[in-house]
Amino acid sequence: MITRRRLGQTAAAALAAPYLIRPADAQAASTLVVAATRTPGGFDGDALKPNTQNVVVQTYEGLTRYATRQSPDGRVRIDASRVEPHLAESWTSSPDGKTWVFKLRQGVKSFYGNELTSADVVWGWEKSLAQNRTGAFIARVSSVTKVEAVSRYEVKFTLSGPNAIFLRALTLYTPSIYDSTVMKQHVSADDPWALKWLDTNTAGFGAYHLQSLRAGQDAVFVANPNYFKGKPHFERVVYREVPSAANRLALIRAGQAQWTEELTQRQIVELQQDRRVRVEGEEGTGHASVRMNPRFEPFNDIRVRQAILFATDYDALNKSVFEGLGSQARSIVPPMIDGAFPDAWVFGTNIDKAKALLAEAGKPNLKITVEYSQIFFWEEQLCIQLRTQLARAGIELELKQITDADMRARTAPNRRDLPFFTFLDNPIVLDPIYALYLNAHSAGASNRNGYNNPQFDALIDQALIETDAAKRLQLARDAQRLHTTDATWLMTLYPGSFEAMAPNIRGWVWQPDLHERWVDLTVAR
Amino acid sequence: MSDDAAASSAPAPGSAPPRRRILLALGPPVRFLLRRLAMVTPILFGVLLFTFVLVRLGGQDPVVRLAGPTASVQQIEEVRAELGLDKPILMQFGIYVAKVAQGDLGRSWLNNRPVLADLRQRLPATLELLFLGVGLGALIGVPVGLTAAFGSGRAFDQISRIVSLFGFSIPTYWLGLIMIFVFFSLLGLAPAPMGRISLMAVEPPTVTGSYVIDSALARDPEALWSALGQLVLPVLCLAIVAAAPIIKQTRAIALDVLATDYVRFARASGLSRRDLRRIVLRNSLVPVITFIGAELAGLVGTSSLIELVFAWGGAGQYGLTAILEGDFTAVQGYVLYVTTFSLAIFIVVDLLVFLLEPRSRAS
Amino acid sequence: MSDAASSPPARSWLRTLPLRLRVMARHAPTAFAGALIVGGFALLALLAPLISPHDPMQANPYDVLKPPSGQFWFGTDGAGMDVFSRIIHGSRLAFGIAVPAVAVAMLIGVPLGLFAGYRGGMPDEVLLRAMDALRIFPSIILALALVAATGKSLGNIIIVIGLVDAPIFARLVRAEVLSLRHSGFVESAVAAGNTRWRILFIHILPNAMRGALAQSAVRLAWSIRVSATLAFVGVGVQPPTPEWGAMIRQGAEQMVTGEWWVALFPGLALVLLVLGFNLLGDAVQDWLDPRRRTGVR
Repeated sequence: MITRRRLGQTAAAALAAPYLIRPADAQAASTLVVAATRTPGGFDGDALKPNTQNVVVQTYEGLTRYATRQSPDGRVRIDASRVEPHLAESWTSSPDGKTWVFKLRQGVKSFYGNELTSADVVWGWEKSLAQNRTGAFIARVSSVTKVEAVSRYEVKFTLSGPNAIFLRALTLYTPSIYDSTVMKQHVSADDPWALKWLDTNTAGFGAYHLQSLRAGQDAVFVANPNYFKGKPHFERVVYREVPSAANRLALIRAGQAQWTEELTQRQIVELQQDRRVRVEGEEGTGHASVRMNPRFEPFNDIRVRQAILFATDYDALNKSVFEGLGSQARSIVPPMIDGAFPDAWVFGTNIDKAKALLAEAGKPNLKITVEYSQIFFWEEQLCIQLRTQLARAGIELELKQITDADMRARTAPNRRDLPFFTFLDNPIVLDPIYALYLNAHSAGASNRNGYNNPQFDALIDQALIETDAAKRLQLARDAQRLHTTDATWLMTLYPGSFEAMAPNIRGWVWQPDLHERWVDLTVAR
Repeated sequence: MSDDAAASSAPAPGSAPPRRRILLALGPPVRFLLRRLAMVTPILFGVLLFTFVLVRLGGQDPVVRLAGPTASVQQIEEVRAELGLDKPILMQFGIYVAKVAQGDLGRSWLNNRPVLADLRQRLPATLELLFLGVGLGALIGVPVGLTAAFGSGRAFDQISRIVSLFGFSIPTYWLGLIMIFVFFSLLGLAPAPMGRISLMAVEPPTVTGSYVIDSALARDPEALWSALGQLVLPVLCLAIVAAAPIIKQTRAIALDVLATDYVRFARASGLSRRDLRRIVLRNSLVPVITFIGAELAGLVGTSSLIELVFAWGGAGQYGLTAILEGDFTAVQGYVLYVTTFSLAIFIVVDLLVFLLEPRSRAS
Repeated sequence: MSDAASSPPARSWLRTLPLRLRVMARHAPTAFAGALIVGGFALLALLAPLISPHDPMQANPYDVLKPPSGQFWFGTDGAGMDVFSRIIHGSRLAFGIAVPAVAVAMLIGVPLGLFAGYRGGMPDEVLLRAMDALRIFPSIILALALVAATGKSLGNIIIVIGLVDAPIFARLVRAEVLSLRHSGFVESAVAAGNTRWRILFIHILPNAMRGALAQSAVRLAWSIRVSATLAFVGVGVQPPTPEWGAMIRQGAEQMVTGEWWVALFPGLALVLLVLGFNLLGDAVQDWLDPRRRTGVR
């Protein structure tokens, strides 16, 4: 019988032949090789191509960032409730919360040697607003209407109203802060924002800079020698395309990569027992959910919805789909965000209750279809398990696979016509109202199941402009109670986000965009 | 109406119109080639149109994915207009054909790279696998088929028929998986099925695109050894599957030749076994070559599956992925390549037949 | 032959069965083996619900990826479903796709071939060109693209496989018709004043069908292979319906981590059934074309 260990040894033996790393990688000590799913398709934070986000967060940094704190278990985690200065040194706001002036840190230089000025910030925001994509969405959600330079190092933001999300939104990678001096050298009449140049170049004030790109093979980044926080440990990062998860696994085992992206849950479990690899994980902010659209029969009946929740066997799902690594989700606001309210979730497995509810709703033998894709690793498995589970309550569940593109299209704001489907959303801004707005407000961009509850909307609308922190928290709590009880989301488990790295790497801190920051990483002695 | 007929009955070349003269001077093979090439364009056009409509029929919508997770309805429509997907289908097709004529196969919306560049980068890998695999299959298959025909009815014949039938029945991808399991996982003999060269080896500088040839040219023994090692299993896989029909068809062809009056007369006249074999070989050559050519074109699909299983990174894997993900431009580019390749094979085979077999020219 | 007059026919048939089976096995071993295999799987397909030890689509979350044991004869797959039961039920789908698909292929291909062969001229040319173009294109990729575009339903898969198969029947029938058109008995039928339709359906069709029917066994083999390949690539029937190709697809991941049973057994079943049909098809083709059976000795 082949054991995993013997298999791993064989693989390592087969791979550990005397092959050379490229001569240029000879300074292996300060080079980080990342086994990635794809080379980035572009470097514009507003035009998300495959793996753009993974690298844009390394080269572009924001005015603010989340503070970190040391947890009792010794781990360093971000503190979602505190935002600290980053590229900005300090800021002031008007009493009505509509005007903010940020004082930029002086002497911050990009790779090209140009100093950060307010013109750079303004240029980046104007670009995002012009492109009208992710950056513009962030601007809208933060109520930003105008960005202007007040002096060489001061930037003024004008908001349409007080907005508690604003400061946190500035931690995001978009709207990005570009070295506008360099960017302006590459604009043209029909490309006023140098988007074409951004396909293969970076110009930011972050810790890393793109040195070379071989599409389909690798992208090489070098540390910004002028980085305002001093030189990062890794001078070079080779971001290498290794499309197959099995190959990424083999590379990190053999020590030929020090970091990998996207391994399956099963592989993570294997690696946890492997001395050659270090695995770290956090619960994260995204949980596996199966969502019901109340516009469609029979999901318009709350009893049917709740019955489905009661019929689900969460333990079995955890064991079979998530290798026992998952943690129960009880609210669409993840537990790591201050203001998460799990108490309204009362839907532990209870087959009798499920049957009773279904009988009450007049549907003792329910026939429904769940649609899933391959966007997330757990979708098909979860649906297969769910089918057997729901059958115990008399529900016949039919599975239907649709393409990834279809799943995204049909859950987009203009359609939202999937009655019952799987998805996972990660709120990228660690704020309870943001998460609630994004996923459940009738105008939320990720409200994929078309939840439309005027009461809920009213609570969120109020909270968006509420300045008193305690009142805001209470509104968040009420909204969550409403949403959880309405049971349009079958919340299952947080798969957790895990990272696999070389055993001597330290410094990883979980980020809401799920990407490591190379600047954080060091090598332990 | 054949040019040859016209040539033989035409007046002295000097008095023919100039264009005619050039054509006549070029000689039969070239004329044959030109005739064949003229047929290619309408076929390509038809296939392209068919594919174009087909992928768009699927109702897959790449726009939403490209627009990003936070896009509004308006932004989605803007992206659609950017990609030119809001125009009527026939107009889109016209634009596409015009671009293709200029050598631009469009951009894959999945990974944002030009389709032509992607295909060109991956083509050597596929060709290497295909030719080596079918070559090996023919190397095994033809002799076995011939021997079976000569010793027809006897043990070797029966055994080869059973073996060939197995070859017809085994799914290629499954065979690949089993081989990986046995030779890599269990026995540790074969290298990891991770592509054309070990992940740790240095890729040789690109000259032909084939790692084997390029590392030989670059005098890099480690890369050469690694590339050869990675080739063994996938080529073997393809060869086994290719050999089965070759054995069967070669045997059938040889049997047909053996049954012709010509050969029967030769046997009755007491020709030696060796001479007999030589005659049969010569006469079987043309149909066997034709068949192997057809096999080559037909195995493009199967080799794509092998590429998938062995993570080969060739055009076949690219195409399969594109079809599954509904990546319009990539699928169209891939279909174009496959059709062109098949047509090229058929033309080359026909040309070979034309050159080797004077009798066929009369038709 | 035994004395049929003295014992009732049925009993004598039964009594001579072992002898006749032995005779068949000796004189036509390939046909016999093929029929045995195909018959065996057909039986499995028919009796599937009765003989499966487990529900093939019952997910057992606490028994995921267990090796073959007394409880799960062929082990369990990634969802904890019993591989053995899924293989038995998979044979239902194998027949359930292949048989209708070949029927569709014949329904489309035979009339086309008849028409083209008999009419000749323009329609024949068009058909020939179309079939040539189809021949140039690898059939797997064509089937894949068609199913991917039209949706992965059972009906679509059957129709697509049938469509891709049809040209072969068309070509076969057309060739037969062409050769029969000028044969003696057809010409005399024409001379006797039969209408065109009568000639086509009563005189030509039955003979043309011989070749088509002979092909059908091989076509069945091919259809099973193609449907499994489609499932392997990812455009097969919706999981968790037990389908051999889909099981191999799932098992492919497991191969590298050592759970070999998930992909091995469905593959073996596939090889066996396809081999069975190929053996049958081979035997039938030999029977119709005696030259193939033995060469010149």
